[in-house]
Amino acid sequence: MSNTLRPYLNAVRATLTAALTLENFSSQVVERHNKPEVEVRTSPEVLLKPLIVSRNESERVLIEPSVNSIRLSISIKQADEIEKILCHKFTRFMMMRAEGFVILRRKPLPGYDISFLITNFHSESMLKHKLVDFIIQFMEDVDKEISEMKLSLNARARIVAESYLSTFA
Amino acid sequence: MSEYAFRKINIDALEEDVLLPSDLYDPDPRGPDGVLSDAQRKAGEVRNLVSRGDIPGALNAILSEPPYGDGVDEAKDLTTSSLLLILNSTRASEIPTILKSLGQEQQDHLMAYIYKGMAAIGQGSDVSGSVLLNWHAQLTEVAGVGCIVRVMADRRTL
Repeated sequence: MSNTLRPYLNAVRATLTAALTLENFSSQVVERHNKPEVEVRTSPEVLLKPLIVSRNESERVLIEPSVNSIRLSISIKQADEIEKILCHKFTRFMMMRAEGFVILRRKPLPGYDISFLITNFHSESMLKHKLVDFIIQFMEDVDKEISEMKLSLNARARIVAESYLSTFA
Repeated sequence: MSEYAFRKINIDALEEDVLLPSDLYDPDPRGPDGVLSDAQRKAGEVRNLVSRGDIPGALNAILSEPPYGDGVDEAKDLTTSSLLLILNSTRASEIPTILKSLGQEQQDHLMAYIYKGMAAIGQGSDVSGSVLLNWHAQLTEVAGVGCIVRVMADRRTL
């Protein structure tokens, strides 16, 4: 992990640890239903203040806590067109398989690239610090992954162009 | 189609015991004008203290009784910009001692303002993210995660 990324991830880790205090809470509007309050937004008293941790304009994390669920949305750094396309493909690939990731949301929030929804059932069946570690690990890897893909894409483009143009040499 | 439109009416909002966001906290007893004049006075005070190099005094002044709630946007902007001025003009080595001198309530308010500053980074704010992240890390070390929980649970938006 680079030294400039660490303070950002530490801030996200602290905020996420603070937000992950969830309990079972049935809907106050519909009887015998149990919904993530941060998604349905029917009772204002159980929604807490959303917090944003950001490093610069393009990299930020929005954490919306509530009594029985939190929603975490990540905006991933996209410096140029290639990174934009790669990021879109990468997040879409994962969100199409959201069931496999359990806490992944099928759609990101507007303005963000990928969202997670953690409910009290997830924090009951999984260890809280491991959940936090997973999110931090994900944020660490996604930057690395995208820059690696960009490098290999450029390398391949160069080889293709060379072998194509060598016929004219 | 229109005869079914009544089904979309949120009847819970028309009830007598409906809970409004404004019921969740008590409004500031000073009133909007009092808050604004207070904020202006404090902003001037802070500018004085910062120019004399008294950062702990400036932080103390700005973090006691900050403006909150609706309808005091001008006072909030004023307080936020003078707070960010303080954060920007502090040497990194002094931060831990300054933070330890603050009371718990002031630490909570400072944390709220740090988050507010981070939220404003994309929208033309001149403070850099690394400064705020450094303050955040130091404050978390001093005040713990409970400080962040209190910021989230506080209904009074600073």
